[in-house]
Amino acid sequence: MVDSHDRSPVRSERSGDIAVIYASDYLNKLSGERIERECRAALAVGCRALVVDFKNTGLVNSIGVSIMLGVIDAAERARAPLVFSNVNAQAAQLFEILGLTLHASLAADEQAALRLLSDVNLPEHRPLAVGKHT
Amino acid sequence: MSTDNLFKAAPAKRILGRIAPENFIGRSEHLREITALAPATSPRSGLLVHAAPAAGASELLRQAYDKLFQQRGAASPVYFAFTRHEQTVVAAARRFLHTFLTQLVAHRRADASFVNAPPALRDLIDLADPSDYEWIERLVMTYERTREGGDELALVRLCFGAPALAAARGARSVVLLDEIQNVEKLGGEIELGNEIAQVSMHGEVPFVLCGLRRGLLDELSGGNAPHRFDGFGTIHLEGLKEADARTLVERLAFTERVSINDETRDLIVQLFGGSPFYIASFMYSAHRDNVSLTSFLECQKIYVDEILGGRINRRFNSILEEVTPSHTTRRALIRLLHDAATNAGGKSPVEAWRRRLELEPDELYPLMFALHVRELASFNATFMEIGTENLWRDYLRASYRLQVAAEPRALVVADTLVETLKRAPQTMARHYRRAAALNLRELLARFDAQRVAASLLHYDRFSRIYRGIETEEIELGLDAETDLIRLPQIVHASSCAAFHPAMLLVCDEERCAVAHGFDAMPYTDANEVVWLTAEIDSKLEAGRAVTEVWCDRLAQVGASCGFKRFKLWLAAPEGFSAEASELLNERGAFSSSRQQLELLTARLSPEAAGGAGAVAGADAPDEFEMVIPMGSDTELIAAHTVEQIARRLDFPAEAINQIKTALIEACINAAEHSLSPDRKIYQRFRLESDKLVVTVSSRGLIVPSPTNAGANGNDAREENNGRRGWGLKLIRTLMDEVEFERVDDGTRLRMTKYLHR
Repeated sequence: MVDSHDRSPVRSERSGDIAVIYASDYLNKLSGERIERECRAALAVGCRALVVDFKNTGLVNSIGVSIMLGVIDAAERARAPLVFSNVNAQAAQLFEILGLTLHASLAADEQAALRLLSDVNLPEHRPLAVGKHT
Repeated sequence: MSTDNLFKAAPAKRILGRIAPENFIGRSEHLREITALAPATSPRSGLLVHAAPAAGASELLRQAYDKLFQQRGAASPVYFAFTRHEQTVVAAARRFLHTFLTQLVAHRRADASFVNAPPALRDLIDLADPSDYEWIERLVMTYERTREGGDELALVRLCFGAPALAAARGARSVVLLDEIQNVEKLGGEIELGNEIAQVSMHGEVPFVLCGLRRGLLDELSGGNAPHRFDGFGTIHLEGLKEADARTLVERLAFTERVSINDETRDLIVQLFGGSPFYIASFMYSAHRDNVSLTSFLECQKIYVDEILGGRINRRFNSILEEVTPSHTTRRALIRLLHDAATNAGGKSPVEAWRRRLELEPDELYPLMFALHVRELASFNATFMEIGTENLWRDYLRASYRLQVAAEPRALVVADTLVETLKRAPQTMARHYRRAAALNLRELLARFDAQRVAASLLHYDRFSRIYRGIETEEIELGLDAETDLIRLPQIVHASSCAAFHPAMLLVCDEERCAVAHGFDAMPYTDANEVVWLTAEIDSKLEAGRAVTEVWCDRLAQVGASCGFKRFKLWLAAPEGFSAEASELLNERGAFSSSRQQLELLTARLSPEAAGGAGAVAGADAPDEFEMVIPMGSDTELIAAHTVEQIARRLDFPAEAINQIKTALIEACINAAEHSLSPDRKIYQRFRLESDKLVVTVSSRGLIVPSPTNAGANGNDAREENNGRRGWGLKLIRTLMDEVEFERVDDGTRLRMTKYLHR
């Protein structure tokens, strides 16, 4: 159960060329934008793949999901593979209904996501212009 | 809304007040200004009250009278209204003297009983307080001698000079003169307006001079040597503010025992533009007919009754009778007014009026001026422009059909009801749009050469730096910015339509503004600048196409108005796309989102803002109600609540998640798709043996669907990019039954989840 809206900044880690971004407890407009911002920043500094981990995410709404489409666009433009991990059943259902799973892979957990990305050939470093929003 | 337990006020004594003091709403400041004239130490010599028609000016003076009457030992209040039935200046002066002495004696005897039933003048001598007996007797004798002598000017000066004479004998008064615009019609050689002005300016007695705002100063002007009214204060009396008008409706609903609800209350306020006279007439009519006003239909039925035969009808009839006593001319006037109202722009040349009414100039101009003063039309030397108030136009249309076209009354009633009923949601929609507008004009008016962070006026920069960051952090960031913009000093801000009426065709008046100012000192041509601003209606970041349209529109306004140097500033609630920002930079235009405007507003005049929610208790063991404020993730509170409720019926975890998600989407929908006036979401959860029914409602305007082009011409598909508007689709997928309906004043979404399906 989600008890409160997490107001802390989005946490992210680097695993080689892969950035792992941890979503907060509620995926809505603001937290979605934070993830988007973090993803763009990671791509701008040369990350070649992204994992967005929803381990802590209890609830999602359609606005948050729509912003994830922006993340998918940004990753596609940088030709960086994107994997969503630890997506709970409710979020997975929304991702499915709203078509996110057509463009990004789902992994059971972060490790599975990293394994999945290690199996693909990551693209050359192609930084994305910071602040370019669609 | 039940009114049974509201407003337990004790009845107050009334003398001239037509309504109970506790129902006299929104005028306390004006009342205080008038009663403050009573002490001899008052710094003011009097007050000029410029009143809008039907704004309740007479009631203000009457309430002031009652209040002053209760102040024993202070100045005696005297209320006198010039009526349109008075024939001559002398008659008016004689009636004034009689009224003055009656009310003065009544106050000094502390006996209000004969204020409304004045004794004969000679009887007043006997009723007078012993300390007043001598001077009143002498005054009455002088009056009688002067009247017999036939010197009209001397008589008028004696009568209107009576307050000064009384004050000199220790009987000070506050004289409240009402409906001064009627002085104009009084026959005779004497310019009564000028006499009143002289008396009120040069005596020791404070005067309140009240009249219709388009006529007051004309009457008191003094011709070629205008009076200055030194020491006088000014009251501009207009319709009630919305909050006060709402309170008035609620109070009258309580005292008249008429049921209303929030939706109908707000509709009534909008129908009558905050006029206390019309609102009171309407509520009295509902009381008389024993009608409960809990739906738009019931409200519009009473409205139509009032237009066609109630007090409102009688008010307009009476004005037209006064303007033109001849029945034939009046009929022709109604036809002319109706035709002019249906013209584009509501204008018609004065020459057409002369020909169609077959009147000579000396008859025509007073008629047109009378309509002008009563604000039923505007007389602009070469043409007449009919007033745009819906109430007046509805009356005009119905009167034309009944009196000129001789259509059956039943048909006129039915048509008027149907038309006004269709208009009611539009009236409310217009109100909501106005309330939800970003108030660019007000914001511009606060520009006074302050320096602010440049990012507040450049959406692309703001978005790049602050997107996804909490407000507190943004504020810190703005404080630290070194790139600052110096705002102009704005000296005049107005709606764009006031300069360029064609803009009304593409946007609401309050969404586009023109502000004149200087971007540096001194005040020279070189420093003069005009800011042209508009608010683009877009749910998402505004796209390049719509932004370009608006840049062109504003530039066209600037060019057609002949502004030498102007600056464009566009605002969109969610900001602008990258492509639009590029265009704005090319055009040198400023751009801001709602968030930027809020931050800018806070910087220009720091004020705390915030809202609070309310949670209502359950009214049945298996039914729960909850009200949450829109925004600030309050949908999470609703989601947690519905989870606890669903658990009572042992819904499986997956179903609970689906209900929670659906409810979150419904709340977001309610917040996003309505320009809600109260910013609240009303929820009801009803548990039945095999299902949970969740109802989510909100008041306000239903925002057009994304597939429709917006009112300001933007292509919504371009703006949405197919990524929003999923709420209802999701809800339908997650719940078993979904009903979405539009109600009188908003929307209601009912969602059902079955336990076993």
